[in-house]
Amino acid sequence: MPRLNPARIAVLSAATLTAGVLVAGCAATPQTAGAGSTDPVTGGTLTYLEFQPHTSLYPPTAGFYPNGGLVNNVTDRLTYQNPETLEIEPWIATDWEVNSDATEYTFNLRDDVTFSDGTALDAAVVAKNIDTYGLGKTDLNLTVSEAINNYAGSTVVDDDTVTFSFSAPAPGFLQATSTINSGLVSSATLDRSYEEFGAGNAAEVIGSGPYVITAESIGTSLTLEARDDYDWAPPSLEHQGRAYLDQINLVVTPEDSVRIGALTSGQADYVRYVQAFDEAQVEAAGITLYAPQTRGVNNSLNIRFTNPLVSDLRVRQALVAAIDTQEIVDTVFTENYPVATSSLSKTALGYKDESALLTFDPDASRDLLEDAGWIEGADGIREKDGQRLSLDVYVAAPQPLSQQTLELASQQLATVGVELNVKAADSGTYAADIKDPLKTPLYHSMVGRADLDVIKSQFHTLNRNVLLSDDAHLDELLELVASEADPAARLERSGDVQDYLAEQAYVIPLFEEPQVYGAASYVKGVSYESVGRPSFYDVWLDK
Amino acid sequence: MHYVIRRVGQAALVLAAAFTVAFVLLQALPGDAILIKFESPELGLSPAQIADIRATYGADVPPALQFVHTLLGFLSGDFGYSIQKGTPVTQLLAEALPDTATLALLAIVVAVLLAVGIAALSTLAPFAWLRAFVRALPSVFVSVPVFWLGIVLIQVFSFQLGLVPIIGASPAQALILPVLTLAVPISAPLAQILVRSIDEVSLQPFVAVARAKGASERWILGRAVGRNALLPTLTIAGVLLGELIGGAVVTETVFGRAGIGRITEQAVSQQDTPVLQAVVVLSALIFVTVNLAVDLLYPVLDPRLKNPRHTNARPSKKVGVAA
Repeated sequence: MPRLNPARIAVLSAATLTAGVLVAGCAATPQTAGAGSTDPVTGGTLTYLEFQPHTSLYPPTAGFYPNGGLVNNVTDRLTYQNPETLEIEPWIATDWEVNSDATEYTFNLRDDVTFSDGTALDAAVVAKNIDTYGLGKTDLNLTVSEAINNYAGSTVVDDDTVTFSFSAPAPGFLQATSTINSGLVSSATLDRSYEEFGAGNAAEVIGSGPYVITAESIGTSLTLEARDDYDWAPPSLEHQGRAYLDQINLVVTPEDSVRIGALTSGQADYVRYVQAFDEAQVEAAGITLYAPQTRGVNNSLNIRFTNPLVSDLRVRQALVAAIDTQEIVDTVFTENYPVATSSLSKTALGYKDESALLTFDPDASRDLLEDAGWIEGADGIREKDGQRLSLDVYVAAPQPLSQQTLELASQQLATVGVELNVKAADSGTYAADIKDPLKTPLYHSMVGRADLDVIKSQFHTLNRNVLLSDDAHLDELLELVASEADPAARLERSGDVQDYLAEQAYVIPLFEEPQVYGAASYVKGVSYESVGRPSFYDVWLDK
Repeated sequence: MHYVIRRVGQAALVLAAAFTVAFVLLQALPGDAILIKFESPELGLSPAQIADIRATYGADVPPALQFVHTLLGFLSGDFGYSIQKGTPVTQLLAEALPDTATLALLAIVVAVLLAVGIAALSTLAPFAWLRAFVRALPSVFVSVPVFWLGIVLIQVFSFQLGLVPIIGASPAQALILPVLTLAVPISAPLAQILVRSIDEVSLQPFVAVARAKGASERWILGRAVGRNALLPTLTIAGVLLGELIGGAVVTETVFGRAGIGRITEQAVSQQDTPVLQAVVVLSALIFVTVNLAVDLLYPVLDPRLKNPRHTNARPSKKVGVAA
């Protein structure tokens, strides 16, 4: 990520050295690009263009970018994940203790934090938040958060101390408390049903964050206003007190050309989702691009090995060797989309380089297919026992330029005699067919999350299960990642999974996915939480 | 009166049919909104959790019961909740309807003005080449894609010339370009019909008589021809409503406006059945109402239809002889 926050200076913040956690602070010193003031200016309104309307502000649904961008700015979290170092630092919790097998977590809380409705953020409401996210509330349709595993319950020790217990080791929980999926909302907000977190209710979802949503027009616009009395930013940030901006006008602008045109013509200050093909035009207009990485499982093609066509390891290895990811990145994307070298991103926790097993080698690919008994037929596509080596893949709407990516992959596979049919479908057909390995032997997906459990979320049979796997050994390896209490050993367990995925050629990693934003040059202090959702807290206008 | 009752009855039948067909078709689609939203791997829910959600949404109820339940809901004004957004459908529609109605009404007004202007110029303009040029305009307008027109208007008038802002515009400013975008394709068929009717009516003997008596071209167009040429145009105006709904979907998406069209587009892509069901019924209701109004307007414009002997007959949609 060459363009992300180059001027950020890490400072050691001795005040936050608590609970034996080494804290690397992150100063929000704004970038000094050329002339202009370097001292942040308070005031002003930012016009921010969002690509899609938000669907819900229930924090566990914040993985969807439009939801997450809002939840990140209207809620605080127990802990703060430094987006540079990925270390967990204090925020609403001043310090914490974890027992040796990671089944019990005790947090001490700040006692001066209030929600925007005036109620106190105390241990009882924190317990209610985590109980809701850890267990769900069936009667209110509130679902369990993907980030919290093995949750058993909470104990309020006193006004500013709360203990969470788990039925099995949950080493990922500390990180989970820092994610937007664990955004803290008021007690009254948690009594709302899932429907009442939906569009049209944004102003009634109450957090303790630096901004408050004050107006909403369903599906088109939202107004966020800074809280004057906000005074509990993560202690490691240089900036304390209220946010610099007075107001943010968020306008939903689904049409790419309108979003980009409004930015380059000065009608908007900051936009989310600059498509790869627009990047050059946007930069030429003097706009600064930001491409924070999403730090999780790479944008990949998952090979559903329970489909008999690809059940042979040699066939899967041949598919991996036939895909030239460098060409895909060079042709369809830009330098903000680095070539993948493992199932995880280089910027993910626990990343292990697997590039030796992922090399592009069409000759080796052809040999492997010959070995496996697939012989070129009359039309150039390989056949075996009268069956053609013809695979289907659906264009995945959530993936950037999925169709272009898949069509190029299809051309590459054709050169080794494999047919890849790129299909498009309505979302109903898509949602049903991606669960059938016979209909979708290849599945295009990724998941961005800066924690070690992300690999289990993506591949375990009881989670996203993108491989539609029946491989019990893979599940075992994944469970070790999620349950190993020793932090160093956890990193190794994640490496084991990446080794296994590459050795078994279950996954064709394509590229490391960023979220690409554009902002006018006078927009300073642009920053992102660890998975690329915008933080408006530090943003100020130099004009 | 008998005629009115029969027409209202027919309208109600059309509505009931639209409701039923929409329900059956939405049920027959592969997958459903719950599948799309909650079983999407994005949420990472386990099969047991998804089963719970299906039960709370009533998705495990047999379709026949769901039909009765939905129908009773609609009759009592309860359209259910959007599955994608969790918002009550009535709230979604109530917030979107005024915006779309303003856009559509203004677009129709502008379209009619455009069409009348084109028709008048096509007969009154001074030079033959100019008349020919004006006559060619509707064919150009009808073939312009709304999507493309919207983007071109934005690029030229907002981003290049800076005349109207798109982001942060006042309500009036925010209407200018969308109304134009929507009006142009609607004005085209109106103008075409109007020009052709004027041509046809102009050949009628009574026009020749008026001209022989010394009436000016302008008087003839305004008093003799115009009124007669209006009936077929009115008929097509009812049909154009479909064009308007389709155009609103595209216009609202391009301009990022809240509205029924935008909601429809999102609901279709997410298979949000409760929203789609309501949108279909709402569109059918508007369609039926407008066509009913058009039919009831005929006797006002054509005095022959006021004659009681004609009220039982289907009103003639093309009238060539002046009253």
